[in-house]
Amino acid sequence: MEMQMLHIFRNTPLGRETLLESAYFCKHLDILPVVYVPGYVKFLMYFENDVVQVDLDGSYLRSPETARDHVVEIVESMGLPAPKFLEPKHFTASTLPDIPVDYDFMCCPRSITDMSSKIGLGYIGPRVRRIVQNARFPVYIPSAVFKPWQSLAVMFGGSANALRALKLGMRLSRISGFPLDVFTQEGRRKRKDYEDIIDSEGLGVEMDKYVRSWRFFETRSFAENLYEIPHDALIVLGAYGHGLIKELFFGSTMETLQTVSPNSMLIVGPNYRASI
Amino acid sequence: MDDRLLLIAFGAAVGVCSGLAAVALSHGLVFMMENLSVFRDYWWAFVLPGIGMAASSLFLEKVVREGAGHGVPEVVYSVSRHGGLLRLRSSFSRLISNCLTIGAGGSAGPEAPVIISGASIGSNISRLFSLNERQRVTLVGCGSAGALSAIFNAPVAGMVFTIEIIMGEWSAANVVPIAVASVAGAQVTRLLQTHQISFTHLRFDVDVISTLAAVGLAVLTALISVLFARSLRYSHHISEKITLPVWVRALIGGCMVGAIGLILPGVLGEGYNSIQQMVEGAFVPGLALMLLLVGAKIVATALTLGWGGSGGIFAPALVIGSFAGLMYHRFIVLLLPGLSWVDEGCYALLGMAGVISGTMHAPLTGIFLIVDITGRYETILPLILVSALSTTISRVFEPASFYLRELVEKGQYLKPRTDAKVLADLSITELVEKDCKTVPRNMLLGDFIKVVQDSHRNHFPVVDEQTGEFQGMIHLDDIRPYLLDSLMYETVFLEQVMQTEVETVDIHEDLSEVLDRMDANGLFSMPVVSSNRFVGMISKATLLDKYRHELMVQTMH
Repeated sequence: MEMQMLHIFRNTPLGRETLLESAYFCKHLDILPVVYVPGYVKFLMYFENDVVQVDLDGSYLRSPETARDHVVEIVESMGLPAPKFLEPKHFTASTLPDIPVDYDFMCCPRSITDMSSKIGLGYIGPRVRRIVQNARFPVYIPSAVFKPWQSLAVMFGGSANALRALKLGMRLSRISGFPLDVFTQEGRRKRKDYEDIIDSEGLGVEMDKYVRSWRFFETRSFAENLYEIPHDALIVLGAYGHGLIKELFFGSTMETLQTVSPNSMLIVGPNYRASI
Repeated sequence: MDDRLLLIAFGAAVGVCSGLAAVALSHGLVFMMENLSVFRDYWWAFVLPGIGMAASSLFLEKVVREGAGHGVPEVVYSVSRHGGLLRLRSSFSRLISNCLTIGAGGSAGPEAPVIISGASIGSNISRLFSLNERQRVTLVGCGSAGALSAIFNAPVAGMVFTIEIIMGEWSAANVVPIAVASVAGAQVTRLLQTHQISFTHLRFDVDVISTLAAVGLAVLTALISVLFARSLRYSHHISEKITLPVWVRALIGGCMVGAIGLILPGVLGEGYNSIQQMVEGAFVPGLALMLLLVGAKIVATALTLGWGGSGGIFAPALVIGSFAGLMYHRFIVLLLPGLSWVDEGCYALLGMAGVISGTMHAPLTGIFLIVDITGRYETILPLILVSALSTTISRVFEPASFYLRELVEKGQYLKPRTDAKVLADLSITELVEKDCKTVPRNMLLGDFIKVVQDSHRNHFPVVDEQTGEFQGMIHLDDIRPYLLDSLMYETVFLEQVMQTEVETVDIHEDLSEVLDRMDANGLFSMPVVSSNRFVGMISKATLLDKYRHELMVQTMH
C-alpha cells in the first residue's frame, strides 16, 4: 500500500525549506505527501491514549491565497506528482479541527508551536515530544535549510526503540537504495552486548545485507562523537524514554543529538510498529 | 483487581476531584460577586459584564488557548468520537473563564464549565493510569456526574444527566461507577459548600386540578425551550459574522447584557436568588413584568453565551423555567379564580423541569433535578407530566437537544451501539483487501484468462504499465462474450473491454459514506485508490466480518 506523509505547511521561506525536505524524503521513499495548509492556529491530534493540541504560530496562516500554489510548485519541483491536500472533516470546536493520525510519517519542525526564531538547533518542543510518544508513525524533523541527504545513519543504543529505529533504517535503505551506517556509543554495554542484542532479535542477516558499516564510539563523550556522523546523512533514532527527573537534570540523548547535529532526523516512538 | 471494583474505586476518586472543582468554582463565583457588588450601583456598571466576558474570552483564547465551546458538546463529542479523550487544560480553563463571566454579571450557569472540568479530570486520571478506552469513557461520565451532582447538590440528577446526555446509554457497567462518583461529588459539596440551591423545607399539596393544569405549562415551557435554543444559536451566528476579535465581540455582548441588567437586574448572573424567591412565593413582580423577564433572560443568555462569554445553559434554563411557571400560575389563577390551586412556588419548580427537559431533551434530568433540590416527591406527578410533554413537544420543532444539535447536523454524534458508531470505529485501512492482482491495460485477453485461472477474484484493477496509475476495473462479466471465441484471445486488449467509469474509494473516506455509495449504486465491492494508485478492494463481505467483530467488542460490557 502506498505510504503517506503528513506535512503542515507554513507559507514562509522556512516553510519552503521544510516542505522541500519532506518532498525529498517522499521522492526517495515513494511516499505521497499529504499537505495540510492550516486554516486555524490550532488543531488537535487524537491518538489512541492521548490528545495533543498543537498551537501553531501566526506565520502558519500567512498568505493563504498563495499557499496551495506554493505547495504544488515545491512538490512538483522535486519531480513528485501534485500532493494531496488535507481538509479536516471533524472539528472538536468550530475553530479547532481534528487532524487524522493514520499516516505513515509526519514532518514536524523541531518545535511546531513556537516562533521560527526557536527553530534552530537545540529545541524539540513539548508537542513534538508528545506526538513522538503517541504516534504509530515516525516523526521526521527536518533541518532548518534543505540539504539533500545521501545516506542513512541509525543511532543504535540497544533499547526497544533503538531496535525499531534500526529496522526502520533498514527499510528505508531497502526502498531508497541509500547506504545505511549504524553508530553506537559504548557505555556500560560493550560491542559484544550490542551484537548479542542484534542476534537475539534475529537481525544478523539483515545487518549484513543492509548495513554498510557499524561504528562503535569507545572513547570521548556522545556529543563529541557526533562529529563523526556524515553531514549529509538522515539520522534515524528511537525516542529515548528517560524518566522526568533524569531528563530535567541531564537532558535526553535525543536532545543532545539534535542540539549538536544539524542533520535531519527521523524519530521512532514506542508505538511505531517496525518492519523491515 | 476486578474491573468493576477498579472502576468504582476510580469513580469515587474522580467524583471527589470533580466535587472539589465544583466547590472551587462556587467559591470563586461568590468571591467575584461579593467583590464586584460594590460597583453595581454606578451608572457605568453595565460595562462590568463586558469586561468580565472580554477577560474570559482573552483567557480562553490567549492564555490557555482552548479554542472550544462551552463544555457539554465537547464532552459528548469526545465520548462519541474519541473514546473520552479530553485535554488536561480543560480541567481548569472553564472554571476560571466562567468565574470571570458570571462573576461580572454575565447571564450563564456554572454547570457546563464544571461538567467539562470533571470530565477532563476523569479522562486525564484514566490516561495517567493507562486505563483502556471503555474505562476512560466511564471515568469521563464519573467526572461529569460528580461535578453536576456537586454544583447542584443533586446526586440523582448528576447521574441521570450523565447517562441521558453524556453517555447516551444505560449500561450496568457504567451506572454503578457513575452513581458512586455522583455520591462522592455531592458529599464533597455538602462538607465544603455553602453556596447552593436547595429548597428542602418546602411542601406542596398538589391536587388533581393542579396536575391537569400542568399540561398547559408543558406546552408553554416547550415553546419557550424552542425559543431559547434558537435564540442561543441565532445570537452565535450573528456574532460570528462580525469581523472583530473575539474579545471585542465579548466586550460588546457583555455591555449589552449589562445594559439589560440596568433595567432588569434579575437577568444578571446565574439567577439563583430569583429562583429562591419564586419557589418560596416571595417574588413580587406582576404578570407583564414576568413576561418581560422571560424575554430579557433569554436575550441576556443568548448575548452572553453567543458573544464570547463562558458558561452553561442549565442555570438560565432554570431561571427562565421558574419565571414561566410562575407566570403561568398567575395567569390561570387570574383566569379561574374560583378553583383552589397549589402554591405558585410549585409551578415555578414545574416550569424549571419543563424548560430543562425541553431544551436538553432530557426529561429524567428535569424530573430528578427538581426532586433532588426539593428533597420531596409531592410534585412528582405533574413533574413527570410536564417533563415528558415538554420534551415531546419541543422535539417536534427541534429534532435534537441543544447540546447535540450541532454535532448531529455535522454527523459527529454517534450514539453508542448504533450502526453509525460501529462504522465510525472501523477504517478503510482495516478493511482493504490487498490480495488483488493488478493487470496492465495493454494485456491481451488470452494472457488475462491465465491470470483469472490463478485467481479466486472476479474483479481486477487495470493499471498503466508505465506510470502505475489506476485506469479502471475489469470484471469477469466484461470478458464473458469473448470467452468462447479463441480468436479474440490474441486480438482484444483489456483497455478495450475494461470499465473506466468506476466508483472509487479514498483511503481516508468515512466508511458510512462509502457504504451509502455502495447501496446507491448497487455495488458489492469498490476499488480503493489513493493519488491515482490502486491500493486494494473494499467489499461488503469483509465489511460484514469486521462489523460483527466490532459490534461484539462494543457490546461486550
